[in-house]
Amino acid sequence: MRLRAALAAAAGGALVLAAGLAGTANAETVCSHDLRVLAQPRDGLTLLEKYKDEFKGLSGASFNIDYLNENDRRAKSRADASTVGKYNVYYIDEANVALFAKSNWVTPLLDYYPKDYDFADFDPGRQKVATFEDKVYFAPLTGGGDLLVYRKDLLEKAGVKVPTTLDEMIVAVQKLHDPDHGVYGIALRGQRGSGANVWRWMPYFRGFGGKWFDGDKPAFDGEPAVKATQTYLDLFKYSPPGTKTGSWDESTGAFLSGQVALLVESTPLSGEAIDPKVSKVVGKVGYSRPPSPLTGGGYAHGLAIGAKANKDDAAKKCAGLFIAWATSKENEKRRLDDGQFGELNRTSIMTSDEFNQKFGADLGQALADTAKVTAVNFWQDPEWPNLGDHWGIELEELITGTRTDIKGSLDELNTYAKGLVANRK
Amino acid sequence: MKIRTSLPIVFTVPTMVVLAILAFVPTIDAINIALQNRELSNPDSVYVGFANFRALVDDPRFLNSVWVSIEWEILTVVATMAVAVPLAVLLFEATSPTVRNALCVLFIVPALLPRVSAAFVWRFAFHPLFGLAVYPLRLITGHPVDLLADPHTAMLAVAIVDVWQWGLLFSVVIVKLLETLPPQPLEAARLDHARTWEVYAYVALPMLRGALISLVFVKMIESLRAFDLIYVMTRGGPGITTETLDMYAFSQGFIESGRISYASSMAVLMMIATTVAFTVLWRRVRRWQEV
Repeated sequence: MRLRAALAAAAGGALVLAAGLAGTANAETVCSHDLRVLAQPRDGLTLLEKYKDEFKGLSGASFNIDYLNENDRRAKSRADASTVGKYNVYYIDEANVALFAKSNWVTPLLDYYPKDYDFADFDPGRQKVATFEDKVYFAPLTGGGDLLVYRKDLLEKAGVKVPTTLDEMIVAVQKLHDPDHGVYGIALRGQRGSGANVWRWMPYFRGFGGKWFDGDKPAFDGEPAVKATQTYLDLFKYSPPGTKTGSWDESTGAFLSGQVALLVESTPLSGEAIDPKVSKVVGKVGYSRPPSPLTGGGYAHGLAIGAKANKDDAAKKCAGLFIAWATSKENEKRRLDDGQFGELNRTSIMTSDEFNQKFGADLGQALADTAKVTAVNFWQDPEWPNLGDHWGIELEELITGTRTDIKGSLDELNTYAKGLVANRK
Repeated sequence: MKIRTSLPIVFTVPTMVVLAILAFVPTIDAINIALQNRELSNPDSVYVGFANFRALVDDPRFLNSVWVSIEWEILTVVATMAVAVPLAVLLFEATSPTVRNALCVLFIVPALLPRVSAAFVWRFAFHPLFGLAVYPLRLITGHPVDLLADPHTAMLAVAIVDVWQWGLLFSVVIVKLLETLPPQPLEAARLDHARTWEVYAYVALPMLRGALISLVFVKMIESLRAFDLIYVMTRGGPGITTETLDMYAFSQGFIESGRISYASSMAVLMMIATTVAFTVLWRRVRRWQEV
């Protein structure tokens, strides 16, 4: 290594200077090639790209991120990892960590995550989601649970108090629903997908006591699922047009443009609601934990080391360093300074005074409350996307009316689930 | 006949070899995969004969997608021609050459737009609350209309985009064809007191029969490849009402379950079906043209 460095230094005068400067920060060059990263668009990653030079100084190489939106990113990363495997770093999430880990498409992270970057500082819930069969596979970029986000002004005007139970919420939604004046009671997700409509449906299912599997036996085809589906369909009467086939973008978009009275959504919405760049309801928004018995949908997305593209230990170390740097305290602090609420994952950052100053004590309190009801709602298994997406299509059909028999649909899913388990043996 | 030069061979053989490799390697690979039980998440696989094809017959979603594909094919081809021909006649009959040329340029623009961009633009245009295209409907009915979420209108809404791109382009092609026709037969018909529509229906358009049939074929092939449009606008939804065969195959292969072999068997079936259908149609049409 040293000999090669000496030769390189002899080759070019300018390089000598650069290597010398970098050398003061880190004597060894960790990376020999630029890293290829497949991700989905995140404000945090866009911000990260401004500091490419910093990473180059640290590791000796740069990085390139290809962005695809969530569903396409999932499809593409799956296709890439199972075939050519050209990405050094994959963006994975709660829905596919089991699949990626089980198929050996990603490498356990902590072996290559430098100790000084303090992995234990991450929010414990997100660490749990990133873990499969006792091994951690990704470092979180985002994550959280659910919050009930409501319009303080509308609730006050209608004399409705903040609902703490589901029954109260349903009454409030009916009372606040006033489409003639451009206000809809609630916003839900109707678009197919384990991370779309099924994601918002699961808190009802789990809240009513539903369970996906009992060992190897499907256990979801029963009263809780029927009741959850019926409640979800009933609530859809108060959801704005466009949400029946829409997902996060459509329902939060409707809320942020001032057309929705309240909704239960993933925590990053609260950050967007106070950002005047995207929100028309700044200053009118309140937060609280999801009304009981709804559970919060615990989730996390993050970066993992690709197994195929990083053939040797040195390459894995390089990818590990990139992930550690990208999720470091310093970079998280930059995101906090930029007001990127949804991009914060470290306990030390989220309990800091700057956080409270920036986002208000209300939100801090709501987050602490919701952490108590946040749960892993989905089936932690490589086959989850398969089962979840299948249910997503049936649920979309129920929502849009091409299907009406709830129990029959669940029976169909039950048969499908049995097939999945049988196929595995 | 004696071949005096080796040039034809020199020029055609390398091209044919390249084409053969490009066409056959993926095809054979697809057939090979279709006979196995490969899944993305599992590197091991064995040959299972025609099991995938047998499973397709019992798969209601597959049967639905076959039907949706046929519906889509008929709807878009008929609608494109139904828009293109009258529009071309109107342009030819009612506008001065300068106006006509300006309009032609305008009509080509939608087809120049990449499909995915067109799909995104229209998806916003169909948005029930903010969409420009559905605003008149909202005024008439008094409440927001969500065309893409309604199983009865979703396919129609996507087809409108397809016709917007291709119907307008084809009308330009047909106008240009009309301009190339000799004026004498049309004048003769007019002297015989034929009405305007009769001049076109019985004289001008029959003279363009061959060209129009070619256009229909081009559109049929083009309609088979509507994946990008449907993927962006509805993802096959609501439910499975706009899920065409290629959409379902992609879904099985890459979105939902990673069942590559199952998806391949669909692709193989689709290839066989289209080859047979097009061969039969082509023969029919040629016989009809010779009459």
